[in-house]
Amino acid sequence: MGQLRLLMQVAFRNLFTSKINILIGGIIFFGTLLVVVGGALLDSMDSAMSRSIIGSVAGHLQVYSDDSKDELSLYGGMSGEPDLAVLDDFSRIKPVLEKHPNVKTVVPMGTSGALITSGNTVDLTLARLRDLYKKRAEEGESPALRANLDSVKSHVRQMVSLMEEQRNKSRELLSSAAVDPLEVEALARARTDAFWDTFEQDPFASLEFLENRIAPQLPDGDLLDMRYVGTDLDSFQRTFDRMEIVDGQPVPQGKRGMLLSKFYYENFLKLKTALRLDNIKQERDLNQKRIDTDPQLQRWVKENQTQPREILFQLDPIKTGQAVERLQKVLGSKEASLEKLLSEFLTTTDDNFDTRYQQFYAELAPLLELYRMRMGDNLTITAFTRTGYVQSINVKIYGTYQFKGLEKSAMAGVINLMDLMSFRELYGYLSPDRKAEIAELQKNSGLKAVDRANAEEALFGEESGNTLVAEATPGLIEDSKAFEGALGSLRRDDLASRVYSQQEIEQGVALSAAIILKDPEQLQQTMEELKQASTAAGLKLRVVSWQQAAGLIGQFVLMAKLVLYFAVFIIFIVALVIINNAMMMATLQRVREVGTMRAIGAQRSFILSMVLVETVLLGFVFGVGGALLGSGIMSALGSAGIPAGNEALYFFFSGPRLYPTLSAGNLIAAFVIVLLVSAISTLYPAFLATRVSPLQAMQTDE
Amino acid sequence: MSLKNLLSAAALSVAMLSGPVALALEPAAMTQMLATIDDRQRNGGDYKSLIYMEQKEKDKTDNVREAFVYRRDADDKLMILFSKPKTEAGKGYLRMDKNLWSYDPNVGKWERRTERERIAGTDSRRADFDESRLAEEFDPAYEGEAKLGKFTAHKLLLKVKPNVDVAYPLVKMWIDKDTNNILKREDYALSGRLMRTALYPRWKKIFSESKGADVWFPEEIRFYDEVEKANSTIILIKSVDLRPLEANLFTKAWLESKSR
Repeated sequence: MGQLRLLMQVAFRNLFTSKINILIGGIIFFGTLLVVVGGALLDSMDSAMSRSIIGSVAGHLQVYSDDSKDELSLYGGMSGEPDLAVLDDFSRIKPVLEKHPNVKTVVPMGTSGALITSGNTVDLTLARLRDLYKKRAEEGESPALRANLDSVKSHVRQMVSLMEEQRNKSRELLSSAAVDPLEVEALARARTDAFWDTFEQDPFASLEFLENRIAPQLPDGDLLDMRYVGTDLDSFQRTFDRMEIVDGQPVPQGKRGMLLSKFYYENFLKLKTALRLDNIKQERDLNQKRIDTDPQLQRWVKENQTQPREILFQLDPIKTGQAVERLQKVLGSKEASLEKLLSEFLTTTDDNFDTRYQQFYAELAPLLELYRMRMGDNLTITAFTRTGYVQSINVKIYGTYQFKGLEKSAMAGVINLMDLMSFRELYGYLSPDRKAEIAELQKNSGLKAVDRANAEEALFGEESGNTLVAEATPGLIEDSKAFEGALGSLRRDDLASRVYSQQEIEQGVALSAAIILKDPEQLQQTMEELKQASTAAGLKLRVVSWQQAAGLIGQFVLMAKLVLYFAVFIIFIVALVIINNAMMMATLQRVREVGTMRAIGAQRSFILSMVLVETVLLGFVFGVGGALLGSGIMSALGSAGIPAGNEALYFFFSGPRLYPTLSAGNLIAAFVIVLLVSAISTLYPAFLATRVSPLQAMQTDE
Repeated sequence: MSLKNLLSAAALSVAMLSGPVALALEPAAMTQMLATIDDRQRNGGDYKSLIYMEQKEKDKTDNVREAFVYRRDADDKLMILFSKPKTEAGKGYLRMDKNLWSYDPNVGKWERRTERERIAGTDSRRADFDESRLAEEFDPAYEGEAKLGKFTAHKLLLKVKPNVDVAYPLVKMWIDKDTNNILKREDYALSGRLMRTALYPRWKKIFSESKGADVWFPEEIRFYDEVEKANSTIILIKSVDLRPLEANLFTKAWLESKSR
């Protein structure tokens, strides 16, 4: 006991005496600080990400068919959508899973994607005009319809004159060889009064002229890549508490419909000029960037200046007049061309940006369609089904939604929600009836299979029996009855208004199911038990945790954690080596002291303990200092929050700011690690110290 | 006899003596051959056929359809209208001027497609169903003779003419020497990559009143996808009917009415 006191006294006395000790102390101090802060940040980020993924689409567990080729990847994988085998009937799986006492809810799901094509502005306007004329043909003309027809027609006429203007402009730049005379001729015809005066005589023929000769002169509309999750929307909304409706309304219970992600709606469907203004504003406000120094902002301004076409084509003559008037007032200009006015108005600088931004939304936006799609519109989605047939459906857009805290995440933000019935139709599933129909057609074709490798010999060889000259029997092809029972407009209306029962929604195909647990702590155990339960019920299911189900993102979370832990590990190895070296030097400096002590009777064990206690004390004192500072930093960060500077961070922080917390575990871990590292790194120097003999010490020079 | 004459006489005799080598076709003769192929498949009046399409893809069940193909060659019009299976009935393509429109009654919408559109997702393209316009669209070059099974064929290399939009800008074509029917074609991308091979093992003809001559058609076409090697498409022209069609058939309104 007395010896320990003595050891402590020696240790305290030596604590600040040598520079080397201060160096070692410093390393320990920063090491502890790093472990405390890094560990706490890592844990907070981990739990934030987990919350994001669990609370958005994954749930705690996901189940999917064990026959699947790929692994489930809810946020999409490296090579597009994973290839999953289908769960034939969700209603058979649900009760098996729900029987487990720890399972709270089971939500059916399926992810897929489609490329949305759309015609250019002229195409879309002409399609609207065509619909109006069709309506007139069916229901007769009303004053309201007439007014509508005239307004759209004048809009089209305006577009044609804009096109001619642009053509004249580009003619100055292009050689005459690049100009197709047929296009010029068509445009000239569409500009004449005669064409518009006789438009009504045969509106459909006039429309076809515009559709086939004028509209193709503009470039095609944008292609839109769309990912969607088909699910039981009601149950989804009840289960995933982080989901909230932003615009519009939820899809009414049992109906077909879609909720677009707010992020997707803003970034992909908004008028480009407005989106660019929004982006500039965000960069300026959030990231303190300036137009005069940032090339990206300058590019956006330039694009807004030079690309007013989207706006010009959108406005009919009346609105064009209003826009000119408003811009003239705002700019104090007498310019009559809207294009020039827009270009001037959108030439924004750091000085006028905020005013112009506000003026854009106050003056121009009310005249414009800010989004390609409004709430209540039908979106046409075309997908290649699993059966190889192409399937198109119209889905009504009821609203937009977001996952709280993931508003800006580009990864979660591209997921749009769709009802399960529409999803199934786009996914395509061969019912036994359809299979039989296809087999019958195939049988009737009388085709014989030919192996590709020797197709030429089989088809052209002597044995093929094929001839290049034969008389065909003149056939009379009866096609009038072929389309009876074809799907049509009646079916379209019927589908849009139909309300499906819960049973209909659940009885049918799904690709996976999300499971929310009552007690998430028992995730591993529940996972195992569910696996057994499904096998026992004869269902071939794979049960995976949210982390696996999130695919790339899940792996990314894991990777990020591993990288950070690895970095900490490396830092401590380095610290170990430095402390070790420093201690060696310290020991060598004290050869005389140690030798003297040995000469006056100190045992080797005493010397060993002395060096060890010294370092451990050093570690303890500086470790406490580091931990205190670390806790201080964490509590400051915890109350102020760390802002997510970019979209990816937004996801990892699960919101605009991360409010990290420090747990006792972080502190204890830091302490244990620090003390262990200092003790280990002292072992060898301490061992060396015990080898010092008094004789050796006395022979050493000063 | 001057030296020049002597030399040309010598050259001529060498050419004549140099064995039974196939003589290259003159450009004019090749263009004429293409024009003949085009003309034989063209009808003066309307054309209607019933076709069967079968698409094979890796790991997928075969995907089959029946469709009617309508042509009015005088106005360069084409319509493909699917009739079977039931879920496909009413879908169609309509070509007007240089536009290829696709229509789906499930959504009631028209969409403009390009020449590269895979018709109904198969390996076939619009031009495979349309009137043959080889002479109009391509410049031929001769590549010699080749045997294909029991047939001997002229092999031509066709290059697309400037400002013409086709699905494949380079085509190698095997044309039967005896009948002038196409036996095989290889379609290449501009980069020279082989994209698709087509075999035409059977040809038939039918007498047309309006043309006053025979109209030829390939009864069977097999397409092999050279990019996705496992994919292939077979098209059977089951029957051809040359009676006049309704006047307003090649309009959007007509196709829409078929599914109402």
